[in-house]
Amino acid sequence: MSTVHSHQDSSVRTGTSGGPAARATRRSSSQPATISSGRSGRHAWYIAAGAAISVVFVVPLAWEVFRSLEPESAVSSAPTSQTFTHLTFANYQTLVSGQDDIIRNVMNSLIVAILTAAITSLIAVLAGYGFALFRFRGSGVAFGLVLLAFMIPFQAVLTPLFLELHFMHLLNSLIGLALFYTTFNLPVGVYVMRNSFRQIPGELVDAAKVDGASVTATLVSVLRPLILPGIATTALYAFLFSWTEFLGALSFVTNDRLFTLPVALSNAETGTYGAVNYGLLLAGSVIAMVPCIIVYVALQRYYVRGLVSGALKG
Amino acid sequence: MLERKQNCLQESRGQGLLGRDREAGGYAGATMTVTGQAESQPPILTRLRVGRARSPASAQARRDTRTGLVLVTPALAFVIIFALFPLGFGVYISLTNWPLIGAYHFIGLANYQSLLHNSVFLQSIVFTLKYTGIVTIPIFVVGYALAVFVRANRPGTTVFRTLIFLPYIVGLVTESYMAVVELQPSSGSVNYVLSKAGLVSDTTAWLVHTGLAVTVICVLVVWFYSGFAMMLLMAGMQNIPQDIYESARVDGASWWAAERKLTFPLLRRWIALSLIISVVGSFLAFNQFFIMTDGGPGTSTVTVVMSIYDTAFPQMDVGLASAMSVVLVIVVGLITFVQFHYLQRDTD
Repeated sequence: MSTVHSHQDSSVRTGTSGGPAARATRRSSSQPATISSGRSGRHAWYIAAGAAISVVFVVPLAWEVFRSLEPESAVSSAPTSQTFTHLTFANYQTLVSGQDDIIRNVMNSLIVAILTAAITSLIAVLAGYGFALFRFRGSGVAFGLVLLAFMIPFQAVLTPLFLELHFMHLLNSLIGLALFYTTFNLPVGVYVMRNSFRQIPGELVDAAKVDGASVTATLVSVLRPLILPGIATTALYAFLFSWTEFLGALSFVTNDRLFTLPVALSNAETGTYGAVNYGLLLAGSVIAMVPCIIVYVALQRYYVRGLVSGALKG
Repeated sequence: MLERKQNCLQESRGQGLLGRDREAGGYAGATMTVTGQAESQPPILTRLRVGRARSPASAQARRDTRTGLVLVTPALAFVIIFALFPLGFGVYISLTNWPLIGAYHFIGLANYQSLLHNSVFLQSIVFTLKYTGIVTIPIFVVGYALAVFVRANRPGTTVFRTLIFLPYIVGLVTESYMAVVELQPSSGSVNYVLSKAGLVSDTTAWLVHTGLAVTVICVLVVWFYSGFAMMLLMAGMQNIPQDIYESARVDGASWWAAERKLTFPLLRRWIALSLIISVVGSFLAFNQFFIMTDGGPGTSTVTVVMSIYDTAFPQMDVGLASAMSVVLVIVVGLITFVQFHYLQRDTD
C-alpha cells in the first residue's frame, strides 16, 4: 500500500501524467515507415470508438433533459408524432409554482451541501495542518481514528445515530444533517489535506517560524495559497456527497418543509402530494442533475484527485 | 488493513521528519525518535537538553504538541461523536428492546436470536449477496476495459473520461427516478425502443416482476458505476513505470502478453481496492431499490440496509434494527478482510 500512497498524487493528475503519453510517442516513433497515414487512421478509429462509448454513458442523461421538456401528457402516455416536436417548460413552471414548491427543497439541499463543504474544509484544513506539520504523541492513533470513520459504513450506524441526533435536538435540522455529512466526509478531507501540507517544502514553514509568524498567521498568509487545490478537492467532494445523499436525509428529516431535493422527489414519485406526475419527477431530476454536472465539469481535476485518495484510504 | 495503513503512515512520517530535521541540525530528529518510541522518557530528554543548553527546543516541542492536538481535536470530536460513539451505542441498543418512543429493558441476545427466525432479514441477506455477486464482475470487466481505453493521453481521452464518468457524478438516486419514468409500461422510452426492436412487449412492467426488476437495476448500476471503476483502475495503470513495457517490447512480447503478464499482476492492489469498494458498496445498496421497487414485489427485493431502515423507522423497533446493523458491520468487515487478505497474499 505504501507505494500506492507515495505515487498517488502524480498519477491522479490524469491530464499531465507523462508515462502513457511517452509510451505512445515511443511506440509510434519505432515504426518509421508509413507513420502519418497509419497514425491518423488509428486516431480516427480511436475517436470513433470513444464517441460510441461516450454515447452510451451520456445519451441517457441528455435524453432525460429532452424528455423533461415534453408536456406531462407526453411523458405519461405512449409516444406519438407530436412527442418530439412540442417542447415546453410547463413541467418546470408547475414545479416552481405548484404546491410541491421545489424551490424550497433546492434551497435546503444547497444549504446543507454548502454548509457541509464549508465545515468539512475548515476542519480538514486544521487537522491536515496538525497531522502533517506538528509532531505530537498520539498523532498516529488520532489519525487512525479519523480513518476508522471511513470504514464504518454510515448505513450501519443509522439507528443509533438517529437516537443520538434526537437527544441532541439535531433531528429535523439542516445543521444536524450537515454535521452528519461532515463526519463521513472528514476522512477523505483530512487525508487529502494532510498530503497537501506534506508537499509544502519544509524550508517555507521553518522560515515562517524564524520570522516569528504565529501558527495561525503561517496558515493564513504563508500556506494558504499552497493548499487551495486540496481545499477545492475537499469542498467539492463534500458538496457532491451531500447533494446526492439520500438515506440519511430520508431518515433524519421528517418535516417535509426541510426535505432535501432527492427526498422531496421521492414524494413526487409516490404521489404523496396527489396524483403521480412523471413530468414533474423528470423535471425535478434534471434540476438535481444539472448542478452536479456543472460543478464537476468545471472542477473535475480536483474531484478525481479526491476520489482516488478517498478510495486509497478504504 | 488499518494496521498496515498506519505502519506505512508512520514510515512515511518518519522519512518526512528526518528530511526536515537534517536541516535543523540533527538533534531534533533524535529527540523525536525517542519521544516517538518510548512515551515515558521525557526526563532523560530534558537532562540531555539541559546538558547541551537546548531548552528552547523542548519548549518548542511542547508547543508543537499542544498546537497539534488543538488542530486535530475538532476532526477527532466529529468522528468520535457521530461515528465511533454511535457504533458502540448501536451494540448497546441491540441488547435492549428499545422502541422509538418509551422505556426500554435489557433483553440480552434476544434480538439476535429473533434475527435467526426473521425471514425478511435472512432473505434480504441472501438477496443482497446475490445482487452483489451479479453486479461485481460486469462492473469490474467494463471498468477495466474502459480504463485500458482511456489510460493513454491521446486526442480525445480527456473528454471521453469526463463523459464516461458523468453517470457516477449525477448519482444513482436521480438516475433511479429517471429510470422509474422510463420503465413505465406503455409510456416509458425503454419499452418504446425495445418493442420497436421486437425484443419485448410494449406493456412490459419491468418493476413489478422480481427478475425483470433486478435485471434493470443491475444494468443501471453497472452503467452508473463502471466509470468509477475506470477512474480507479486507470490511476493504477498510470502508476506502473513505463520502462517495464519498453523492455517487454524489446523482448518481443505482444500487447496482449504485456497486458496479461505485466499490467494485470502489477495492478493487483488497485484491482483489490476497486473490488472491495464495489463489493462493499453493492452490499450496502439501498437507494436504487427503495426508489425503483421499494423492496417489492412482496419482499423479494429487500436489501439488508432496507430491512434495517424498515425495522427502525416504519416499525419503530430500534433494538432489532441495531442488531441487524451489528450483523451488517460484521458482514462488511468480513467481506473487506477476506478480500483484502486474499488479494494481499497473492501480491506478497
